[in-house]
Amino acid sequence: MSQLTLLLLRFGLLLILWVFVFAIVYSLRSDLFGQRVRKQPTPPANASPFIASAVAPTAPAAVTPAPVAAVASASAASGSLLFPAPGEPLTQPVSATPSSIAATRLVITSGPKEGLELSLPNEPLTIGRSSESGLVIRDDYTSTHHARLMRWDESWVVQDLDSTNGTFLDGTRVTLPTPVPLNTPVRIGTTSFELRR
Amino acid sequence: MTASDTASTTRLGRPAGPAIDAGARATFTNTIRLRLRVPAKLRNLELVLLIFGIVIVVFAIGLVQLGALGTLFPHMLELGGALGVLVIALHIVLRFAAPQADPFIVPVAFVLNGIGIAEIYRIDIAKKFTGWEGAGARQIAWTGMAIVLAMAVILIIRNHRVLQRYRYVAMFVGIVLLLLPMLPGIGQTVNGARLWIHIGGFQFQPGELAKIALAVFFAGYLVTARDSLSMVGRKILGIRFPRARDLGPILVIWAAAMSVLIFQHDLGTALLYFGLFLVMIYVATGRISWVILGLGLFVGGAVAAGQSLSYVHARFAAWLDAFNPQIYGAPGGSYQLVQGLFGLAHGGLVGTGLGQGRPTIVPLAESDYIIASLGEELGLVGLFAILALYLVFVSRGFRIGFAGQDDFGRLLGVGLAFTIALQTFIVIGGVTRVIPLTGLTTPFLAAGGSSLVANWIIAALLLRLSDSVRNQSNLVVQT
Repeated sequence: MSQLTLLLLRFGLLLILWVFVFAIVYSLRSDLFGQRVRKQPTPPANASPFIASAVAPTAPAAVTPAPVAAVASASAASGSLLFPAPGEPLTQPVSATPSSIAATRLVITSGPKEGLELSLPNEPLTIGRSSESGLVIRDDYTSTHHARLMRWDESWVVQDLDSTNGTFLDGTRVTLPTPVPLNTPVRIGTTSFELRR
Repeated sequence: MTASDTASTTRLGRPAGPAIDAGARATFTNTIRLRLRVPAKLRNLELVLLIFGIVIVVFAIGLVQLGALGTLFPHMLELGGALGVLVIALHIVLRFAAPQADPFIVPVAFVLNGIGIAEIYRIDIAKKFTGWEGAGARQIAWTGMAIVLAMAVILIIRNHRVLQRYRYVAMFVGIVLLLLPMLPGIGQTVNGARLWIHIGGFQFQPGELAKIALAVFFAGYLVTARDSLSMVGRKILGIRFPRARDLGPILVIWAAAMSVLIFQHDLGTALLYFGLFLVMIYVATGRISWVILGLGLFVGGAVAAGQSLSYVHARFAAWLDAFNPQIYGAPGGSYQLVQGLFGLAHGGLVGTGLGQGRPTIVPLAESDYIIASLGEELGLVGLFAILALYLVFVSRGFRIGFAGQDDFGRLLGVGLAFTIALQTFIVIGGVTRVIPLTGLTTPFLAAGGSSLVANWIIAALLLRLSDSVRNQSNLVVQT
């Protein structure tokens, strides 16, 4: 065994160790950089004028076609509702509606798959662009792990998982886990859904 | 995977009576489910990575023989190959018992373990040990046993929520395992630390298993006690501090850690248990005040111990003033630490090559100082690859905490992954003189059966937890 071959084998070992590391990192790239966005062939005319990385949280509210938009932009413009100090009680938008414990299904009320419904599972339902989410929404405005719907004692609760563009309950950006009343629109990206009995 | 899982992804406003519709809908979705059987994508990825890993391990063992002996001896390569077969068996078990488990945990653990075996074998060659008197052969046997145990854990624990029910049993088991070395008859003092039990020619370090039991207990306890620990308390300087009566658990754990420090003479284990509890309580409550309190308690206790306990004092002196000839020459001084640093320096950027360095100059080169041995022979480049593998392993555990569905599983995943991270930090930080040197094993790498068994059980639990992170979507909305 010549010294040269040994030298080459030595560097070969270091090389394949690093190839192994990078093979792993490559296979978990969707975890590191988020799910790839598919280019929309024809973006809806009223949903185009900003890019996904727009920092201003008011932007998504301004462009949704749904009737929610008016309320959303109004509340967003006021600014105070966006990041209430921790501990400050969050006003519940629609308190008159019945508690959503009776909700059995989730109906998509606007967006590309308008009209689809799914039955609510017994465990928490995750929403996001990641293919591991319970409800996968792939558009430019959704984060990889965007939000979560959970059942807490009396009702279903939506929790925003620090998403870039926010989760809007009846036009108000959700910062703390907030109960979702029945028949109230929750908007994520360009998709809105409601919980129904 | 569009519209596969639940039996209710249908268009609204279909003209049909509810009764007939439901029946038709059920059969309709059943046919879809049959057609869309999800291929085992994750397991196939794992298989590819595993075969890659087996190649690396056999290559490393071969290189040790070429470097140290000049020729290849098939016997050791066969043993390495046998471990490869065993780990493939683990992979097959996963295909049936946990098909959605994380695909990176097993390959990363196996490669770390295999590199450790190669280096231990290399030290055996230098010390002229053969057969069962060498630590390498024993390490291979322990690895085999540990992988079989990991399979058993995956097969027996089909749902991790069962563990939550046994949280107080876990606490009891953890404390008993911690105290076991203190028993007169079976306890044994090795190198000044009373961490071992000795039964019939068979040595074991029960503290390694105790960390798993304690992680289960902490997770189960914190899930139930979280609200009282996080909601109430007084605000001081913008940070909410807990009430005095909620301080009970942290004081109990602190007392336990301090007693390990005082009676078992083991700084590393004390730090590991206390750090584990601190991180889990922080993750459960999200309040930085627990970390401030806990670190204050521990640093206070450690400084007090440094003043009064001679072995802690010696460790601190060796750390701060390692190159002082007096401390270097003293018994229990910095000789080992400094030789390890010299070894690392000798390795340089790319190392001397496996089998071509002189790692045996350092005492305990195959267990506590395996990182220095590997650093000498693989260099900085190889050491960073090893650290990257640890990073991947730990991040997979943290991911369960992020994407998991139930609180107990999420806390347990974070806790188990953090024990690996903290242990790696304590050992490598000690060897490289970032923190005072303490005697813990490097997970998966170092020679020692108890540590291997415990870490493979941790890997199995993480696999079980990651399987429950639900992977099938109910509905896909795509533009």
